[in-house]
Amino acid sequence: MTAEQFIIDDRENNLFRVNREAFTSEDVLQRERKEIFGKTWLYVGHESEIPGKNDFQTRDVGGRPVIFNRDRHGDVRVLLNTCLHRGSSVCRHSSGNAKIFTCFYHGWAYRNSGELVNVPGNEDYKSEPAAVYKGLQSPAQVDSYRGLYFVNFDPDAPDLLTFLGEARYFIDLAADQSPEGVAILEGTHKYSLKANWKLLVENSIDGYHAKSVHHTHFEMMMELGATPPMLGKDTVNGIAPAGMGTEFPNGHATLMYPANGLPLATDSVKQTLAGLRAQAEQAFGENYANAMFGLARNSVFFPSLILIDLSFGLTLRTFYPVSASETLVTGWQIIPKGVDEEFVKYRIDNALTFWGPAGLATPDDVEALEQAQKGFGARGEVGWSDVSKGMGKPVPAANDELQMRSWWREWNRRITGEQLPTEGTSFVPFDKQGVDA
Amino acid sequence: MTSVSETPSITTRSAIEEFLFHEAGLIDRWRLEEWLDLFTLDCTYEVPATDHPDADPGLTWSLIHDGRTMLEQRVIRLKKPEAHAEFPHSQTSRIVGNVQILDETDESISVTANFIIHRAKAGKFDTYVGRYEYELVPRNSSFLIRRKRAVLAHDMLDPQGKISFII
Repeated sequence: MTAEQFIIDDRENNLFRVNREAFTSEDVLQRERKEIFGKTWLYVGHESEIPGKNDFQTRDVGGRPVIFNRDRHGDVRVLLNTCLHRGSSVCRHSSGNAKIFTCFYHGWAYRNSGELVNVPGNEDYKSEPAAVYKGLQSPAQVDSYRGLYFVNFDPDAPDLLTFLGEARYFIDLAADQSPEGVAILEGTHKYSLKANWKLLVENSIDGYHAKSVHHTHFEMMMELGATPPMLGKDTVNGIAPAGMGTEFPNGHATLMYPANGLPLATDSVKQTLAGLRAQAEQAFGENYANAMFGLARNSVFFPSLILIDLSFGLTLRTFYPVSASETLVTGWQIIPKGVDEEFVKYRIDNALTFWGPAGLATPDDVEALEQAQKGFGARGEVGWSDVSKGMGKPVPAANDELQMRSWWREWNRRITGEQLPTEGTSFVPFDKQGVDA
Repeated sequence: MTSVSETPSITTRSAIEEFLFHEAGLIDRWRLEEWLDLFTLDCTYEVPATDHPDADPGLTWSLIHDGRTMLEQRVIRLKKPEAHAEFPHSQTSRIVGNVQILDETDESISVTANFIIHRAKAGKFDTYVGRYEYELVPRNSSFLIRRKRAVLAHDMLDPQGKISFII
């Protein structure tokens, strides 16, 4: 049975193919749950979402219910949201402020740092449950980078910084946009799509589909006096108008292109932006500030954290599979701290022209992915998808498919154990001197 | 919101209902240019995020926060065959009910109503439910919409994962 082969990586003919079984098989999903969602770093939330002591957010991360919270001492925790007694959730609100989490089923109560502190009928146990069970469990590893919290359910996995590697600079470019830092705005885009989660991975770092799927958005931008992505004339930090794709170890990848016009921007908004840029220039140098404000970037951090950093919005998105053909998506908007209300409004309005389940572009992506999933019904006859665009080019453009190939090779390594070589070298679009210091 | 207004309304509920039913009919029949004509030039059309139904969509990551320009663009886009999520157009049937006049001044009338929208598209049949909040401005013998806010009574968009049509 050759169904074990998911990838054809033909370097001689520059052909790259993905077996469509990877998108439809429940068996593959079970392996993904173990080998990917059980062993890689998964995004939980940003520290700005739990600013005060006892604040919490409940999330599903890689299929596990968790409480992402700040305990009564101010320490950030991630607790598995399941009572040690018989499994019920100990917290059923999506967010809030609580010192104690109590399971409503039999009343076992836990401090927000996890310790089991009350068991009704405690005297009926020979060994006290609190002594036996201690408290709510946490993922094997919890770590953060620039305010972004991740978990890993594998105690043996390499640490977060090693995992992110050089790709972390794309988080820096987002996090450094204000000297006061960045924060997640209130309000979440939470929606489902009837397609395999890997289709959304591909779509999130796919510059090729922009012209065909988002044609109407491009026309709208032009009508509002803005230049759509990849259609400008400027070169920024050596990156041509057509942009470029780049890969990093561990399956992370980025496509970047010169950032273009700002639809709906007022003079005040442009001033605020110029101010942020001037501050960045002073702190990190012109080259870094150029990369930050002059380039747009779509990045994937393996397996499913997406950071889309455009001049008119900064969107964070993560998603996890419900089944082989259904995915739950959560999207947030990031805002530089310390900017005026007009700027915040502008960023929101601009970003909303594109993103989210009611945006003027995202629903068309969802439509494309759902139609692809439908198309996989013919996988018995048409068994492979093509991801070859730009393969073999010394510098792939933003609308080539290096990013997906990089991601798929890591996916393949984790699922089958087969290690395939990368195509080229990682590239960071700024001079790192002074940034690491 | 449930208390009965002490000052009797000059505008009748049936006049408001007539207007809201007319609006619903225009959208269901995809007469979106005519629908756009129901709005003032300083209008807003808002849909808050499902996890922050009471928030200001101008200052939070909402689902929709359109001013007049974006509302026009939304309609222009939806009528193009390249608006893939809505081509072929979805079929919707909306029921507007529980209409209440909350407040009325010479300049504007504040109205709330419930909605149920059934939508069929590509073999799927979805339901969207929630509450409308309108700020209406009297004009001739009818009204214009200065603000329309659709607050979804969903805790997330599932199984219906997209709002690619007008709600």
